[in-house]
Amino acid sequence: MSAAHPIPRHRAYRLLVTAAFRAEFQYGGNLLLTLAGGVVAQSVGLVFLWTVTTRFGDLGGWPMAEIAFLYGMRLTSHGLLVVPTSQLHSLDLAIRTGEFDRYLVRPAGPLMQLLCRRVHLPTLGDLATGIVVLSLAAHHVGFEPTPTALLYLGLALVGGALVEGACQLAVASLSFRMLSNLALRGLIDDIMNTFGGYPLKAFPDTARLALTYLLPVAFVAYLPAGVLLDRADGLQITPWLAYGAPLAGPLLYAAAYLLWRAQLRHYSSSGT
Amino acid sequence: MTSPRGLAPPRLTLRQRAVAHAGTAGLHARAQLAYRADFVFRVLWLLLQVYLLALVWRAVYPESGTAPAHGGQQVTLATQLAYVTYASVQNWLLTPAGLAPTPIPQRVREGSIAVDLSRPVAFTTQMLAAQGGIVLAAAPFAVLALPFAVVAGGARAPASAGAASAYALSLVPAVLNALLLAVVVSMVSFWTLEAVGVFMIHRVVAHFFAGALIPLWFMPSWLADLAQLLPFQTTTYTPIALYLGHIHGTGPVLTALAVQCGWTAALWLIMRLVWARALHRVVVQGG
Repeated sequence: MSAAHPIPRHRAYRLLVTAAFRAEFQYGGNLLLTLAGGVVAQSVGLVFLWTVTTRFGDLGGWPMAEIAFLYGMRLTSHGLLVVPTSQLHSLDLAIRTGEFDRYLVRPAGPLMQLLCRRVHLPTLGDLATGIVVLSLAAHHVGFEPTPTALLYLGLALVGGALVEGACQLAVASLSFRMLSNLALRGLIDDIMNTFGGYPLKAFPDTARLALTYLLPVAFVAYLPAGVLLDRADGLQITPWLAYGAPLAGPLLYAAAYLLWRAQLRHYSSSGT
Repeated sequence: MTSPRGLAPPRLTLRQRAVAHAGTAGLHARAQLAYRADFVFRVLWLLLQVYLLALVWRAVYPESGTAPAHGGQQVTLATQLAYVTYASVQNWLLTPAGLAPTPIPQRVREGSIAVDLSRPVAFTTQMLAAQGGIVLAAAPFAVLALPFAVVAGGARAPASAGAASAYALSLVPAVLNALLLAVVVSMVSFWTLEAVGVFMIHRVVAHFFAGALIPLWFMPSWLADLAQLLPFQTTTYTPIALYLGHIHGTGPVLTALAVQCGWTAALWLIMRLVWARALHRVVVQGG
């Protein structure tokens, strides 16, 4: 414990998270309904894919069970990310209203305080749906739960969450200079949500390359799912890049966090 | 609602009521337009959606460029791409997903519902006008988005002059049904106070069963049958299928239009019924 951190980080985090959840659970009766909303919203994409593949067979050579596995991985990663970090969306608001000033004088990191200002309960629905879809799909594709495969899956899920989180954090940190970039973040979020669960092989080269190198959507779930499903050869990418996909998350997130720290220095209070 | 009969305001004339409702619609349209930046974001979402659907249909369509639908009719890839484009844009317009899906939950929470209830026009039609204003505010953005959506997806001229007029006719009940559905769904907040979950479910279910993702003709038959029984298809699938000539011939076209109008009447009755029950549930919070 030092003067700069009179309260240990993990304790501050636990206090803030508990308070956020307690606030949200005040609307007890609506909890289930809100969760159901999150589940339904995330399932419809899968229902769409199921309907299309029922009628037309496979998509880019991937049968429905494998698409569901990929979709489940993407959704689980997304859930792992958004449950603790949904409030990054409120950064603009916190800056505009001056709420961010308070974060700077309290004994905890500003990013931690921002992320703990509330919890958005539908995100729990995202996570739950992801886990259920992934488990069912794993059963259907005959996924062998060897220690290596499970370890790779775990790393890939966390890595995928970090890839998405890195993109969001990097763009969000620009808010300190340009105030509002919610539209840009919304767009990135939409692209990742819309295309993340699809076998990119089915798409034309321009779309596939843009979703691999311009915005690293492929690294969230498509590449590691391909490895786990023994499709590494058909991914149209150097195999080591596919096998190493889970590493992309931590690397990108570290870079994004450095950017956040650098941009935070440019923060000037809105004065409200 | 305990005010004695004697204090009840006099009934308004038809003209006065029209003015009142136009005022409500205008007010809500302007409130929406205060968030113009959100529309940019929503239009981009729409275009991405159209682009993804077009990619998927191009990827799964057989080499021959045509696939049989229910009843054996052939649907070409060009028709399918035009369908997903038009259906996405129309559904986006009629089922607004912005900050204020409908004003009821907010008004219940803030307590301003008490003012609405004391106005001399029916609350149900006030809410229909409000929802109409919200849709109206999005209309110019839908028109602007359409050419971009056509580039991302595809386009087709109406199948015939008859198809074009059937489409124009079918738009009237399509819009009414979408507004009625939104008002009925938002009345659930009289029971739940918060309505985020209800809205999410309604939007997703309405989106899917309206045929905005998949036309009914490519759904497995049991799912298509279910969609036919629900009111959502009358807001999107029916008009676009008429436009593209997928529903053709005097008999089927008239049936489709009759089903739409039947739902308008049914939804109106449902709205009145739900409202009659909701009135007893109003809890005014603060204000």
